[in-house]
Amino acid sequence: MPITFLLVLHGIFSVFLLGAVTHQFLSVFWPRKPGQSDFVARARGINPGGYVQAIIILYVIEFVLGAILYPTYRVLARPPLQDLQLTYVIGLFEVKENFAAIVLAMLPSYWYFWKRYPDYKTTRAALTAILFATVWYDMIAGHLVNNARGLL
Amino acid sequence: MDKIASRAFPAFAIGFAAYYAPAYSFTGATSAFTWPLFTYFPEINEWRWGLVAGNDTIGPPMWWYGWIASAALVGLVCAIIASLLPERATEKLWASSIWIVPIAAFAFLWNWERVWFGL
Repeated sequence: MPITFLLVLHGIFSVFLLGAVTHQFLSVFWPRKPGQSDFVARARGINPGGYVQAIIILYVIEFVLGAILYPTYRVLARPPLQDLQLTYVIGLFEVKENFAAIVLAMLPSYWYFWKRYPDYKTTRAALTAILFATVWYDMIAGHLVNNARGLL
Repeated sequence: MDKIASRAFPAFAIGFAAYYAPAYSFTGATSAFTWPLFTYFPEINEWRWGLVAGNDTIGPPMWWYGWIASAALVGLVCAIIASLLPERATEKLWASSIWIVPIAAFAFLWNWERVWFGL
């Protein structure tokens, strides 16, 4: 039961994180132009710097929840995947865990270049793009792995 | 604080990524070098120092936590060294390598992980 609860929580927080990082990514790479007021333009027309702290907090929460759930995956989910020779499913998870760890270590810099050092726009944009790609990949991969063999 | 952070934060991430990618790629049950700081055995809920292989009695090993801990230590050492370097002279280096090195680490890892996908 606690594992189910944590897994659902992991999914809910991933939605919050995806929303925040997608807003920031869109506003950096596809900013709203003056006069645009449709739904998509409003999604792009946010202050990207205002999302930094929320993204960091949500990412850390997601990482901790994932780290707590990981042993259950290792014991309950991965052996059947190995038995069925579904190596690509295992691979999806391996990529997810590795990218997630490296991006975790980038968060202090991500905060610094957004909040303290506005001179380097390319750096800010690159860090946002890496975070965006990682968070989306991790959510999709996690979903696919859970579909193949859940933790229940 | 900001002056140190401008070098220490990127150096931490760079050191972390530069250690983590080969650590994941080259760790095996018989590795000569102990890449993870510790090994966790989820079936028996036990932590052991260094690289320990699993077996039928203690179950599968988890090295992921150990890689993160090792990579964080390497990152900290890099951060300390970087904070001693001149700020102005290395400013652009940190601003570019903070995203180039992790992307290189992703590419390195992906090249290693292709085997899972039969590529």
